[in-house]
Amino acid sequence: MRSLRVPYSVLILLCFLFVIPFIPALLASLGGVWRFPLVIPEGWSFRAWEAVFRENSGTLSAIWTSLWIALCVTVINVLVSVPAAYALVRGNLRYRAAIEAILLAPIFVPALAVVMGIHLTFLRLGLTETVLGVVLVHLAPSMPYVIRAAMISFETMNRETEQAAQLLGAGPWSRFLFVILPHLRAGLVAGVTLSMLISLSQYSVTLLIGGGQVVTLPILLFPYISGGDTSIGSAYTLVFSAVALLLVISLDVALRGHYKKKGRSRV
Amino acid sequence: MSMWRRNKYALFVLPAFLLTITLFFGGLADGLLKSFGYFPAIGQDTLRLSFYQQALAERAFQDSLFLNLRVALLSTIFASILGITLALVLYAFQLRSKRPWLLRLLQLPLTIPHLAAGYFMVLVFSQSGLMARLAYAVGWIDAPAEFPVIVNDAFGWGMVVTYAWKEAPFVALLLYPVLARIGSGWYDTARIYGARPWNYISTILLPAIRPALLTASLIVFVYTLTAFEVPYLLGVTYPATLPVYAYQLYTSGNFEDRSQALAIFWLLTVVTLLFGWIAYRFYRKSYDRGWE
Repeated sequence: MRSLRVPYSVLILLCFLFVIPFIPALLASLGGVWRFPLVIPEGWSFRAWEAVFRENSGTLSAIWTSLWIALCVTVINVLVSVPAAYALVRGNLRYRAAIEAILLAPIFVPALAVVMGIHLTFLRLGLTETVLGVVLVHLAPSMPYVIRAAMISFETMNRETEQAAQLLGAGPWSRFLFVILPHLRAGLVAGVTLSMLISLSQYSVTLLIGGGQVVTLPILLFPYISGGDTSIGSAYTLVFSAVALLLVISLDVALRGHYKKKGRSRV
Repeated sequence: MSMWRRNKYALFVLPAFLLTITLFFGGLADGLLKSFGYFPAIGQDTLRLSFYQQALAERAFQDSLFLNLRVALLSTIFASILGITLALVLYAFQLRSKRPWLLRLLQLPLTIPHLAAGYFMVLVFSQSGLMARLAYAVGWIDAPAEFPVIVNDAFGWGMVVTYAWKEAPFVALLLYPVLARIGSGWYDTARIYGARPWNYISTILLPAIRPALLTASLIVFVYTLTAFEVPYLLGVTYPATLPVYAYQLYTSGNFEDRSQALAIFWLLTVVTLLFGWIAYRFYRKSYDRGWE
């Protein structure tokens, strides 16, 4: 058994490789003076962080706008994807393969291509520069992932459990709530997380449809990272990453933990 | 199956289907018509191929295409190599005892948005970035200008590095579940027959992950071919990657440019759909076939 063992140093090196990129951002956002040859900044300062969270900086409202849009997108995605995935896996539908291909196609097409096409139509319908318009264009790039995640869950669930519940007299709703939903948990955590993350990190699509009026976090921070103040750019990038990270962690804890407490966890 | 059951399932698919048809295929069709110069609002209601001809004839298009393919190909290769390494190391560490936090750690770069990842790379690799400072500290360079141009370079290394960092964990995460099904018993058996660790990796592990690797690298390739954010941040003004070039044309204002921008995106879409279809075939094949 000894010889397939990889030394810990390899693992630590790999971990380090993935942590390095965060270091200069931390140094730049907290450093007082960080001119060229300095590896470690001269003195420390919260200037950049104060600028980011200043009262009229718009950071907090941008975070809320981002999260609100991501939430709307995800709720719609879950509501339409769970039944669709169920039908695709269980339904024995005619043209099943074609329907599945149509639903998953947006994964392979650049969102910008679709949004440029739909832009003038949205303009006519008054959907540009609105949150609703932005939510609508975030749906196509994220929905296939939720459908796929839900499908995987249904595929691993055996029909007998459901039939047993039916035999014991459970109606369609209680079967869904107490048999299907708990089993869907792991798949839903993955799908919901992906959907939120995809919506959160959209830039070009939001810019084109939001027209600069719907200010999400990436829209707010872009001017700072494309040639603006390095310290503020770093602080914003760290905030952006932290929002994404906290979102993933809290979704994981909330959705997974709920069922764990009830003692139903198997995954 | 009764008529009602069948219709019930059709009803279940309907909302997702309608949303995809209107928002996705509607947008694509809308763009396709406009790429042929169809703008009834300004009296243009004939379909013309001229914008495709124009786009293909532009020197800027050819340069962009070349840059795009180079960046996508190199990113895919580096992300795949790094991803395989990561998955194998993870496998070796998990073989005897499970360490769930390792998987969690691996997912960290996956959650970081691409724009943020791109900017981190600027701070690490630019001529006044962390690497340049370290190079100065050990005496390799005397001024920022002596450090090689890695980000915002014409070759596209900045994008390649960003994608390799960002997509390697994605590749590893698709490969790891396949490896995890190969229990420690396999290794013990292989050793009885005299296999060295490298034999085990090359004849058992690598063939096992091949279908998943193909799917993963095709997804990375298609993504890096069409993504906008990272090239927009890390590219140079000329040549720009095709999505950035098309975006610049689109936002420059007049209808002719918009049609040409959409023509470019349509050419790109056809290519990606083709690759996507191949990826999907491979995925289904390996999925349907199962483990054996």
